[in-house]
Amino acid sequence: MAGYIKSAGLIAAFLVIFFPCPALAEEVNFSVIPAEVRIANLPPGESEQFNLTIHNKDEIAHNFTVSAFSPPEEERREGTAEFPDDSWISFSSPRIEIAPNSQANVMVTTAIPGGQKWAGQHWETWLAVTAESSDLLSVKLHVRLLVSTVRTGFNAGLIAAIAVAVVLLGFGGYSYFRHRAKAH
Amino acid sequence: MKVVVTSIVIALILGLAISLPVLAQQNSTITITMTGLNEISISLDKTQWPLGTIASNTEYETSPAIEWCTLTVQGTCNVNTFIVGDDAEWVSDPAAYKWTLSNDGTNGEHIYGLFFRISGDTARGYVPITKTQSEFWPYSGGSASSLAPGDTKQFGLRLLTPTYFFSGRQMQTQITISAVAA
Repeated sequence: MAGYIKSAGLIAAFLVIFFPCPALAEEVNFSVIPAEVRIANLPPGESEQFNLTIHNKDEIAHNFTVSAFSPPEEERREGTAEFPDDSWISFSSPRIEIAPNSQANVMVTTAIPGGQKWAGQHWETWLAVTAESSDLLSVKLHVRLLVSTVRTGFNAGLIAAIAVAVVLLGFGGYSYFRHRAKAH
Repeated sequence: MKVVVTSIVIALILGLAISLPVLAQQNSTITITMTGLNEISISLDKTQWPLGTIASNTEYETSPAIEWCTLTVQGTCNVNTFIVGDDAEWVSDPAAYKWTLSNDGTNGEHIYGLFFRISGDTARGYVPITKTQSEFWPYSGGSASSLAPGDTKQFGLRLLTPTYFFSGRQMQTQITISAVAA
């Protein structure tokens, strides 16, 4: 009998309540526009802004958070590298409450520091939009952000071509006038 | 004659000196492209799994096992989806006690395992959910493609409780399913 009580006690000691109560369920239905943003020719030292539109399709208000997320290499678009620093991306409202069946814009600013080091780069990062929830399952939507910076270095090919053209032009002019002088 | 040639050369050098710095800075206009103003959205028809009282070192599965929850692609673009889990925390005092989520589906003292299984996915079967975001659908090595608007995927969960844990504590965790434009 004592053994039975002991093992019953042991089992009871291992019992817990797991996961929240269904009464607290907060299913969230939302969308984000656009799904992908490409910023091209952004010079180092400058910034660019665009809007993300979050649409709360539920009958109740929800809080949404927006943050930068570094995707794994295999998920990035071909030819893009990891975005160097998430702090270069800022949001007008990292956390925003949206009324039922309404939408709101979050302005995203991408600011690249100055310096030749950041010129001619192609990066990808994701902007994660999450609806705050205490449920077991939650949904997060990622917006792809692809940023290409402009090249600021010398265009060696073009400059060489111009130099050659100048030399040829100079030589041509010299030959022409020399020929004219001889004719006279 | 020499004056003419010298003048031409000087003029060319001056022209080059003025044009080079301009050419050095490539002409550019910043452009922002928002691909077709695509809308991204997915939904889940269940977000709760109330298990009640559970025992240690035991497996629990959702019912129905692999058709418990339906993920639906609702936006206007094809998506790739991912899944990530987290430690389970004591609801009353999250900082004081937690179960660590295993990184391979095994369990231990205060360590638990979580799995998902997608209906029709016979190749992978139950896949461990870890704290690192991993592929939900499609997955590497599989022949499946990304999910199109209107597509659905049914899946279920499995919980493997720790071999030992403190009793009488309500634990809570969160599994996040995410999507990105394919």
